[in-house]
Amino acid sequence: MELRAYIVRRLLLLIPVLVGVILIIFALLQFFSPVQRAALYVRSPQQFRNLDQIIEKYHLNEPVYVQFFYWISEVLKGNLGWSKSVNMPVSDALLRFLPATLELLIFTVPLTIFIGIKLGITSAIHRDKPVDHVTRGLAIAGYSLPAFWLGLMLLMIFYGFFTGLFPPGRLGLDAEMVVSSASFQNYTYIHTIDGILNLRLDVVLDALRHLVLPVTTLTIINLAFIMRIMRSSMLETLNKDYIMMARAKGLDEKTVINKHARRNALIPAVTVSGYLVASLMAGAVLTETVFNYKGLGWWSVNAAVQLDVPAVLGFVLFIGTVIVITNLIVDLLYAKIDPRIRLG
Amino acid sequence: MNIREKTGIATSAVIVIVIVIVAVIAGAVLMLGQPTPTTTTTPTTTSPTTTSPTTTTQPVKNPDTLIYATIGEQETLDPAWAYDTASSEVIMSVYETLISFDGTHTDKFVPKLATEVPTVANGGISADGLTYRFKIRSGVKFHNGDDLTPEDVEYSFERAMVQNRDGGPVWMLLEPLIGIEAAYEPLTFEQIDKAVEVEGDYVVFHLAQPYPPFLAILAQSWSSIVDKEWCIEQGDWPGTAETWENYRNPETPPLQEVMNGTGPFKLDRWEHGVQTVLTRNDQYWGGPAKLKNVVIQVVPEWTTRKLMFLAGDADIVDVPRPNIKELEGVEGIRVTKDLPTLAVDAMFFTMNIDPNSEWIGSGQLDGNGIPPDFFADKNVRLAFAYSFDYEAFLRDVYQGEAIQPASPVIEGLSYQNPAQEKYHLDLAKAEQYFKAAFGGQVWEKGFKMTILYNTGNEPRRIAAEILKKNIESLNPKFSIEVAARDWGTYLKEMVASKLTLYIIGWLADYPDPHNFVQPFMHSAGAFSAWQGYSNPTVDDLIMQGISEIDPAKRQQIYYQLQQIYHDDVPSVPIDQALGRHYERDWVHGWIYNPIWPGEPALCDPYLMWKG
Repeated sequence: MELRAYIVRRLLLLIPVLVGVILIIFALLQFFSPVQRAALYVRSPQQFRNLDQIIEKYHLNEPVYVQFFYWISEVLKGNLGWSKSVNMPVSDALLRFLPATLELLIFTVPLTIFIGIKLGITSAIHRDKPVDHVTRGLAIAGYSLPAFWLGLMLLMIFYGFFTGLFPPGRLGLDAEMVVSSASFQNYTYIHTIDGILNLRLDVVLDALRHLVLPVTTLTIINLAFIMRIMRSSMLETLNKDYIMMARAKGLDEKTVINKHARRNALIPAVTVSGYLVASLMAGAVLTETVFNYKGLGWWSVNAAVQLDVPAVLGFVLFIGTVIVITNLIVDLLYAKIDPRIRLG
Repeated sequence: MNIREKTGIATSAVIVIVIVIVAVIAGAVLMLGQPTPTTTTTPTTTSPTTTSPTTTTQPVKNPDTLIYATIGEQETLDPAWAYDTASSEVIMSVYETLISFDGTHTDKFVPKLATEVPTVANGGISADGLTYRFKIRSGVKFHNGDDLTPEDVEYSFERAMVQNRDGGPVWMLLEPLIGIEAAYEPLTFEQIDKAVEVEGDYVVFHLAQPYPPFLAILAQSWSSIVDKEWCIEQGDWPGTAETWENYRNPETPPLQEVMNGTGPFKLDRWEHGVQTVLTRNDQYWGGPAKLKNVVIQVVPEWTTRKLMFLAGDADIVDVPRPNIKELEGVEGIRVTKDLPTLAVDAMFFTMNIDPNSEWIGSGQLDGNGIPPDFFADKNVRLAFAYSFDYEAFLRDVYQGEAIQPASPVIEGLSYQNPAQEKYHLDLAKAEQYFKAAFGGQVWEKGFKMTILYNTGNEPRRIAAEILKKNIESLNPKFSIEVAARDWGTYLKEMVASKLTLYIIGWLADYPDPHNFVQPFMHSAGAFSAWQGYSNPTVDDLIMQGISEIDPAKRQQIYYQLQQIYHDDVPSVPIDQALGRHYERDWVHGWIYNPIWPGEPALCDPYLMWKG
């Protein structure tokens, strides 16, 4: 009961968080004049005369609170507005681009966390030995390389040089035809999962082939985060008295590491993992662009560049919710990992 | 920090540095192999040339499917709403019009959903040019199986005029059929109803005035024929007078997401931001297309597009102008160059600048500004025209792949006078005209003004810098500042006549000189109105040109207008870009018509195949 109350309380916190974020966005929008915003609807000289009509139509010259009122009254009716950057309702756009991001996340997060924690522990155990240097060097180098550069290099090698090995996009043409055919049921629009559910190994393999490079890029870039946190946390734990005590008692090193040190060292890594999930949900803009893997990141940045206000607001609502929920899950995980931590 | 820790950090740092260096070298090696840019020369002719160095050894990928990788996607699928080239490209593959352009010609037509192209000779066009009769083809079916009827044709045009969205393309129907110049002028349903009538198997258009480009307007996406019954099922206008106003200027177009045409391809799906897939209409009345699918993929990143093209996963790609040399001489790639486009950029002089403009300095001819009527003096306009280095501009901005037009009646349009004189860089003449301007005061007192360009628009910045450099070299009292503002501000200032001069482009709506001389020269035209340019003779000639149906007389009128344009110099055209088309050499059947939408990319996929 106590846990349920805690969860409800945390979820209620969503409302002020979202309202606050939306107000900030509305405030930021005031830096753009109505003309600047209206001009984005105008494509050719034939349409230049329509600037004033556009300003009026979209209430761009109204005070900020009036614009906010128009927007919030529509949201309360379930209408998040029209995303002009992708020419569809915002709610549809969220649903359309979410599966691609989720698919990236499903593979990247476990891989990054698993490798990051493993390398962090290895590095800590072999502190200042060649294994430690190489591990840290590789991780920091991966973190230092710009995502678009690393992505392009991987694409040039594994798609350009080894022609067609790991192509960009989400699916190849043949798999696309299968997925869009009437006989294929798209349950989640996550192709690997739908492929399994439809028993279409060809779709699964093709989707995996397209996932290799973006997942590799994201893993390399995010690995250092977890690895470094895990290493320092592990080093700190290994210096604790109870570890010394465990060793003094004659426990073998494997038991000391796995049973006593690792679990206690995990808490900071879990926090970073929560951050990783939330940031990947917001989308990996550069990776998605380079690999033509259109997800929420690509959509949100494209919308922001085009001052597609309803899309930006819809995205902010979504990502605010994700961050609050992710933080909640992380807090719940703390209690699970370390029973001494009490939620309240 | 102890020594051990310091040594550890140093070792790690060495590893990081080594990795980064290796990565950079690898990147550099991978980047090598791209051809270095070669010296360019400005073409004097615009005959397209095709190069295909060596045939590919790669097997044809996806032989039934044409994949076009491009940078953006359509705004809508509704023909009455669409006014962007990407939308038109999709619409013209799925819907059909009564007539279409004949292959590469912009002034010849072939019948599509009409059985013949009406002419005065065959009685399809009345002698006074006010009535056009089209016999509608029988046996044609929409993709949903409905039969095409003359009522569908009537509905299609009336629906477009009812919808008539702000800033949309429907003004092109309203002008000839109703006689109103702007889409927002008052309009009654009676006017719409009377304009298009069904007479048996015929559809008859009643024009408000003779309008020679009318056939060209009917051959484009906004004149697509839709299925009345199906449209009503989609919640569109039911075809009745009572409710027509409810369907005017809607928030979103009724046919935004759906298509049901009679064309050779059907819409399979539109995955917003990702791709649009068209599949063959096997029941097409003209016989099925050779291609089974056409896929238009949105791939904004150039390197990704290029790699897809080289790997054969894209058959046609858009290539950004700065990268045009990268695919030259590459095995398996066919490049067609020097394709004339019906687009022109020009430098417009504002003759009655708003006195409150912040770009005219003191607002007086005192050496610290310019008076609002600075450009009203023709000597100033001529001096500016002779101060621009047209060749350098075409070389620097277009890598030589553009031509300098003499007037808004650009190459590719009927009645263009090939012998029309152009302006060229001549600083001696520029000096002479500056000395004559304002009775010699301009030369004596000097001037100071600002030329604005929209942030990020390099061609406009370069043009402004060329003017600045050349004009300031003439007299130390001449000062020009070049400033950048965002696109919205640039637009607003231009429309409010606050810019001293502005550079902007015009893309043809239909291939007729009227579509160019009207905005460039008529006192109510888009550009000339903002400039404050007015010449009653010009206005009269423009109205004569659009209502004259005798081609010989039209030629005379437009030749005269071109000469007046040169003499009056209300603006100076600076470029007409030449396009390029890149395709894998296994693609066949591509033809180029300058009026077809978009970059020279798809044109007509019905004619294309792979093999």
